[in-house]
Amino acid sequence: MSDVDGVGTAEPAVEVRGLARVYDRGRGRNSRQITALDRIDLTVARGEIRGLLGPNGAGKTTLCKILCTVLLPSAGSARVLGHDVTADPVAVKKSVGVVFGGDRGLYGRLDARANLNLWGALHGVHGAALHRQVDALLERVGLADRAEERVDGFSRGMKQRLHLARGMVADPQVLLLDEPTSGMDPVAAHDFRSLVEQLRLEGRTVLLTTHDMAEAEAVCDQVTLMDKGTLLATERPSELSAGLSSLESVEAEDVPESAVGEISELSGVADVKRLSAGRLRVDTESSDVTRQVLQVLVNAGVTSLGTVRPSLEDVYLHYIGRRGMAVRS
Amino acid sequence: MRVFTAAFRFQLALARRKPDTVHVLVTAPLFTLVFVSIGVHAHRPDFTASAVLAPVLMSLWSLALLTAGDLISQDRNRGTLEAIVATPARFATVVLGRLTAVASVALVCFAESWLVAWSCFGVVLTIAHPLVFVSCLVCSSLAMAGTASLLSAAFVLMPSARVLQNTLTYPFYLLGGLLVPVAELPGWLRPLSRLVFLSWSSDLLRASVSGPAGHWWTALAAIVGLGVAGAVSGALLIGAILRRVRRTGTLALT
Amino acid sequence: MSALTSSFHVVRYSAANAVADFRATYTWRSWTFGWLGRMLAQVTFFATMGLALHSSASAHYLVVGNSVMTCVVEAMTVVTSSAWERRQGTLPLLAASPARLIWVFFGRSLQWPVSGTVTSLVALLGLGPLFGVTWSPGQVPVLVGLVLLTAVSTYCVGLFLAAFVLSASNARNIVSNVGYLVMMAICGVQVPVSFWPDWVGVVAQSLPLTHTLAAVRGVAAHAGAGDIALRAGWAVLAGACWLGAAAVAFTRLQIHARRNGHFSFAE
Repeated sequence: MSDVDGVGTAEPAVEVRGLARVYDRGRGRNSRQITALDRIDLTVARGEIRGLLGPNGAGKTTLCKILCTVLLPSAGSARVLGHDVTADPVAVKKSVGVVFGGDRGLYGRLDARANLNLWGALHGVHGAALHRQVDALLERVGLADRAEERVDGFSRGMKQRLHLARGMVADPQVLLLDEPTSGMDPVAAHDFRSLVEQLRLEGRTVLLTTHDMAEAEAVCDQVTLMDKGTLLATERPSELSAGLSSLESVEAEDVPESAVGEISELSGVADVKRLSAGRLRVDTESSDVTRQVLQVLVNAGVTSLGTVRPSLEDVYLHYIGRRGMAVRS
Repeated sequence: MRVFTAAFRFQLALARRKPDTVHVLVTAPLFTLVFVSIGVHAHRPDFTASAVLAPVLMSLWSLALLTAGDLISQDRNRGTLEAIVATPARFATVVLGRLTAVASVALVCFAESWLVAWSCFGVVLTIAHPLVFVSCLVCSSLAMAGTASLLSAAFVLMPSARVLQNTLTYPFYLLGGLLVPVAELPGWLRPLSRLVFLSWSSDLLRASVSGPAGHWWTALAAIVGLGVAGAVSGALLIGAILRRVRRTGTLALT
Repeated sequence: MSALTSSFHVVRYSAANAVADFRATYTWRSWTFGWLGRMLAQVTFFATMGLALHSSASAHYLVVGNSVMTCVVEAMTVVTSSAWERRQGTLPLLAASPARLIWVFFGRSLQWPVSGTVTSLVALLGLGPLFGVTWSPGQVPVLVGLVLLTAVSTYCVGLFLAAFVLSASNARNIVSNVGYLVMMAICGVQVPVSFWPDWVGVVAQSLPLTHTLAAVRGVAAHAGAGDIALRAGWAVLAGACWLGAAAVAFTRLQIHARRNGHFSFAE
């Protein structure tokens, strides 16, 4: 893969500065403005697999649309491999592959190969190069022996794999995967993750939007949390939890009531929850407090106990609040 | 009767929201423009009646055809056909009510056609026998609804109904004597033509406009008779289909 | 040069879609007895009007005009089939590709002008003689060329309208029908263009059908080759202008949608 028309490799794959997008909705007296992206800054290094995690309406898809040039920003700038999406959309289109979830976006009456041929031609690939590329991709996504079948008859997982092949037909350096596994069964989703892993090995940059914590943890180098059009944090999946040691918790079984009372009164204890089957969970605000809690429990003769690092979900809920996955109105 | 009225209103509401259904209201004036221009160019004022009336019957026919085809396949797609079948209202009544609404929308086409002939060519179509004219339009609309219920049953039974739907337009305009009276068609076509209610409607409409209405009651009886025959056979067919549905439990593969 | 090659390949692979759609719509039998039969009935419907007017010249005029008209009706179906792109959810992906939309859509519905050309030729050569319009074998290649030119140049008019219908896809059938009915009225299909007021004539001159139909009538009347070539030339020019206008319309659609967020992934 050659470097795209002389842009230095020092340029990040994606560089977003003060990016905003406002939608006008309704007409006349009912018209209102909805802020989908609120002046965000984001940098994704080359070769990185970056997760964008957030509930529906967080602004993930809006960001993807701006990066693949189907939507203009209201303010700020976005560059892909150094090309500005507003000033030089054609260069951006040439270096970006788009894949979105669901089973739309393919031509159902065409077979898999004809679909890839068309999308290849649209990206300026043709002739022997196209044939080689299409063969290789069909092999890679496991559709080589179904290549001459109409896409209408494909299962959802097969369509999704064809979608990924479609996004890669022009050999893009940057891939935008927008909720690629939505609606996939677990086996297909697992296969999909190993395909993403291959993309990493090839040095491609991937921006993956999802609201699936496990998926983000499994494949991403870094995860950016989004909500209401803003970025909350960007961390490695492990660091995101570690950095939130303030959110460490202790779990223990068969805790006497007196000890529960004592723990509740410690300063720096965020929450005490009774889980099922006599289990107690204590959220603490720092490692010091965690040590104090453990001390109280040991003194009370509790033998079954341990510290629990927050899962990505806990982190997520911490940042976004207990609103969970509710869609913003 | 309440069921019939409710179905009638429902179809009207549907027609307003769906531009495709009202597209005959847009195309009818253009057809008038085409037909009247041919008559005027040929200096044949006697041709005006046909030229103004043909688009009305064409609209009536194509609209009912469109609706008959869409009615059942759309209901099937939306999964509402099963729901309608399950309601106590007689299904055939629902279909007939919805189709009658469609037919009355097409009557607006006549006003449009008349206006086009007058405003673009200064041709004023006067109606010699208004009572016969109006009775003929009303009976034709009902006959159309009856015929269309037969068509919708046929469409359910035939999977390639969409292609069929497209095919049933111009051959019937020809057979129906819309522009060229049946009397001027080749002799062997006439018996066939008389089985299509449009042929009686177009003859009677022309007669009510231009001259002696003659045996107008024979024509009216033929229109109503053919309409009723269509409605009855349609209802019987739909009934048979529904019995099969209840037995096999699904419409999905019909 | 390479841009031209790329555009050619886009049209070519996009045409695969046209073939697939055509196969899904018709079998050879339903095309012959369904579509072709219906179109021949349409030509007959208008041509019998000539008989009713008791004028063989009228019948002659109407059968030629309406035979050529059939490929126009079919070419204008591009307005409807372009709107299918919206239903398939492929529009945002097309917009995200570096290719120009006009070439995608040009290839996308090519089945219509091709099928329309065959329909028109069957009507001209098969139905025409029944109404007294006969052709010599030497005239047939010229007819094939002129009918193909009619279908393709009218297809370009349809593409222009398709660009607008993409953002109002509910209106697709109305726009397609109104489009061909206007052409049927003013382009010399049923009555000469000179029948209409001058300003209508000016509009008619901008439509390729007016010129190709005049050329076909010229062939029937054994007019000189130069005259026919001139008419065909005007049709080529008109078709090219409409194609250019369609390209601009598609680009504007894309710019407008990009500004207002009309390309939705989840659609």
